Amino acid sequence: MMIETVKTVLKELNCDTWQISDLKTEGWEFYFIKNRLDQNRVRNTDHITLTVFMKNADGTQIGSASAEIRQGSIADEIRDTVKTLMERAQLIQNPVYSLHSPKKAEETEKDEADVRTAAEAYLHLLKDIHQTAEADLNSTEIFVEKNTEHLLNSNGIDVTQTWLSSMIETVINARNEKHEIELLRQMRSGTCNEEELKKQIEDTMQYGLDRLKAQKTPNLNRFPVVFRGESAKAIAGWFVERTDAAMIYRKMSSWKKDAAYAENISGDRLTLKALKNLSGSADNRMYDAEGAAMKDLTLIENGIVKNFWGSRMFASYIGENDSFIVSNYEIDGGSESEESIQKEPYLEAVDFSDFQADSLTGDFFGEIRLAYYHDGRNVIPVSGGSVSGNLNDLMGEMTMSAQRQRMNNALIPSFFRLKDVTVTGSEG
Amino acid sequence: MKAPFSPYLNEISDGIRSLIGCLSKDYEYVSIHAADSFGLNIRISTHAKSVSDRTLTSERGFAVRVMKDGLYSEYSFNQFDPGHVEETYRQIKEALDAQLFMLKQCGTEIFETPAIPEEETVFSGEKETEQLPETADTQSIISFFKELCEKGMAMSEHLIDCTITGQSTHISKLFMSTKKDLRQSYVYSEATIIPVASKDGRNTYAYEGVSGLCGPELFKKLEEHLPAAVKTAEEMLGAERMEPGEYEIITSPEVSGLIAHEAFGHGVEMDMFVKNRALGKEYIGKRVGSDLVTMHEGALCADNTSSYFFDDEGVMAGDVTEINHGILETGICDTLSALRLGTKPTGNGKRQNFEHKAYTRMTNTLFDSGNDRLEDMIASVSYGWLLEGMESGMEDPKHWGIQCIISCGREIKDGKLTGRIAAPIIMTGYVPDLLSNISMVSNDRGVFGNGYCGKGYKEFVKTADGGPYLKTKARLG
Repeated sequence: MMIETVKTVLKELNCDTWQISDLKTEGWEFYFIKNRLDQNRVRNTDHITLTVFMKNADGTQIGSASAEIRQGSIADEIRDTVKTLMERAQLIQNPVYSLHSPKKAEETEKDEADVRTAAEAYLHLLKDIHQTAEADLNSTEIFVEKNTEHLLNSNGIDVTQTWLSSMIETVINARNEKHEIELLRQMRSGTCNEEELKKQIEDTMQYGLDRLKAQKTPNLNRFPVVFRGESAKAIAGWFVERTDAAMIYRKMSSWKKDAAYAENISGDRLTLKALKNLSGSADNRMYDAEGAAMKDLTLIENGIVKNFWGSRMFASYIGENDSFIVSNYEIDGGSESEESIQKEPYLEAVDFSDFQADSLTGDFFGEIRLAYYHDGRNVIPVSGGSVSGNLNDLMGEMTMSAQRQRMNNALIPSFFRLKDVTVTGSEG
Repeated sequence: MKAPFSPYLNEISDGIRSLIGCLSKDYEYVSIHAADSFGLNIRISTHAKSVSDRTLTSERGFAVRVMKDGLYSEYSFNQFDPGHVEETYRQIKEALDAQLFMLKQCGTEIFETPAIPEEETVFSGEKETEQLPETADTQSIISFFKELCEKGMAMSEHLIDCTITGQSTHISKLFMSTKKDLRQSYVYSEATIIPVASKDGRNTYAYEGVSGLCGPELFKKLEEHLPAAVKTAEEMLGAERMEPGEYEIITSPEVSGLIAHEAFGHGVEMDMFVKNRALGKEYIGKRVGSDLVTMHEGALCADNTSSYFFDDEGVMAGDVTEINHGILETGICDTLSALRLGTKPTGNGKRQNFEHKAYTRMTNTLFDSGNDRLEDMIASVSYGWLLEGMESGMEDPKHWGIQCIISCGREIKDGKLTGRIAAPIIMTGYVPDLLSNISMVSNDRGVFGNGYCGKGYKEFVKTADGGPYLKTKARLG
């Protein structure tokens, strides 16, 4: 109803280039302290976002302005909003580009689970976690939502898609007679995969027990580090960001098509693909936010950059006219195994306060909450201190595990190994 | 002028009152938090320009909170017709009953909490502003930003981009319960300059920002920060990597603010006390820092991006002394956590927006000033670093670890700045050690409201923090 009003107003005001997104969400949330329910929540929302585009007189420049069409708005208010957007869009000047045109996405197998079924599975999962006097759940938050998105634009795109998305955040305590520690995990997925999540939570409990025994991280200075879990995903995500058309156009990534991403790649040569669909991902959509059809696309093959991806504006500026905004991706396995990395001492980092890899500078850093120091003879849990370095400097010698794991929207090697990482210890 | 309260919220307030009446038949406690906040977000860079009404806090919607048999439940929605209150009532009741049915089937135990005690309160407050984001002269702002962007680019041959952003949000919030009717309206704004430099394949950037409890008129203040922003981006191209180790440091007010926020801001959020997730619970009344450390937290502590009349649970704003001359005095608390802990809420119950749960959250978190001069502080360092610019931080209240990502450090040798720069820097350490080692505190103070804060890795809200220059010791990498 509101969308029809918006379209009528756009026509009346002779606005001929526009894009509308109507996102309806039904969400169920549960918050637990220990095993008791602290609070339950329901979300039922409908957000309509309108973007209008205005060209300058000679058609070489285009500007856009966007706003939410607020629920409860009457036709006159919608008219005022559209007028304001048209005025604002005229003030913005970017090189001209066109909106996406309709292109049917390939049908993919869909997970038909609904919010209630998925929510119930999470409640069962919590009951099924093996808790002991030494390791248990401190608190848990569960979020399940079903999204229905209607995308339209003035070029004729008119598609509707639905997807289920869920997330469990859990804080795990482990304790001995002297003290208690905690580890936090945030796991996103499509629906609730009880077996997979149970394993991740129980593995984290084991990490917690190891952290109780952790010594201070030694000063290792430049040292090989194996990154697992969220830090591995942050490194993988850095490669995805470096192939973003916005980074290329803005000269913030110097990567070029058909050229290697590093001058000398003596480590594993990375292969990265965007995926339309990844089983278990919370981001399985047929169309991106601008209505472009998702597809599988090789971005890097054996270390050679093959394609860029991105929003319509930036992708068209660099000549990628059939592009889209990547949701899911995979990186092929590398040459390493759990045995091969034992060949020399290394630090195996499994939990950070907040590991970050900066897409612009390549700098990465994180405070170590739990790592294992493999000194050649013993494996010693350590905590405190930090790792840092620059991926531009270290990616040439990077190696990866052959084995892969899925972390929500990414199917990536289970670990990434970087040489010469700066390890600042926590001992005096 | 006063920032006017939302006409939309005024118009539907009788409907909200009726909805509370309907729900009160079924629940022991009912309140509704309603928001109608307009934003303006302009981003001008060398390569792309955009304008939208979306900011972190722009929203229109409602959060209903009810309690029955000791369980608090919420329903967030954004479609409300005051002419059809009964329909909304039925939707809320059916949705929450469906959840309760499932919870009962699963044998879920409840964390029982008493009803929120309330006193009859009617309040209406509108804060001063010169301009409103919804009626600001967008053309002038865009022209000004373009000019700044071009000026910045002309200042250095190494710049590949200069992004100017400006955001302003006109907040209107209504909190209504059986006994309360609270209405507030205010405008806050923030703006940044981010020059990006590149040389020999190395990219760096700098960041300068302004923020305040005011309208888009604030954006003009950006101009005076442009030369410093470009200079820092250029200097960073020649920055070295930090040699890992423990050093004497002087933190700039921005970095001091980050420490305040990460070290004891999160550490005394009392919803973490309920979950036994914060070491601070055991240290109330005990020494956690040197005698020079005094820290305040509250929406009334400063006029910046998180300075309101009342929080998202209908509790009036406060000013809490968390640390007094090194002694941890108290924490900050949302309403439900206060009931569970047997204490009073402090006006720190905040939601990311109407779609999110309320948690204990920070507002303005600030170290008090001291008596030292910056020149004397630098002169007192035999070897160390002056740390400037904050990028991010992460809390660890359970273990009092701290992670701060800092833009750059300037080397100090024999009491003088040498001109040598290291970047970026990760500062880690044990919070009580960091605060106990504070030996000098400058006589000035800065407040910074450009950042936002997450609870773990989500629930982002606007916060401000700050303090004076602090001299202490820390581990840098």
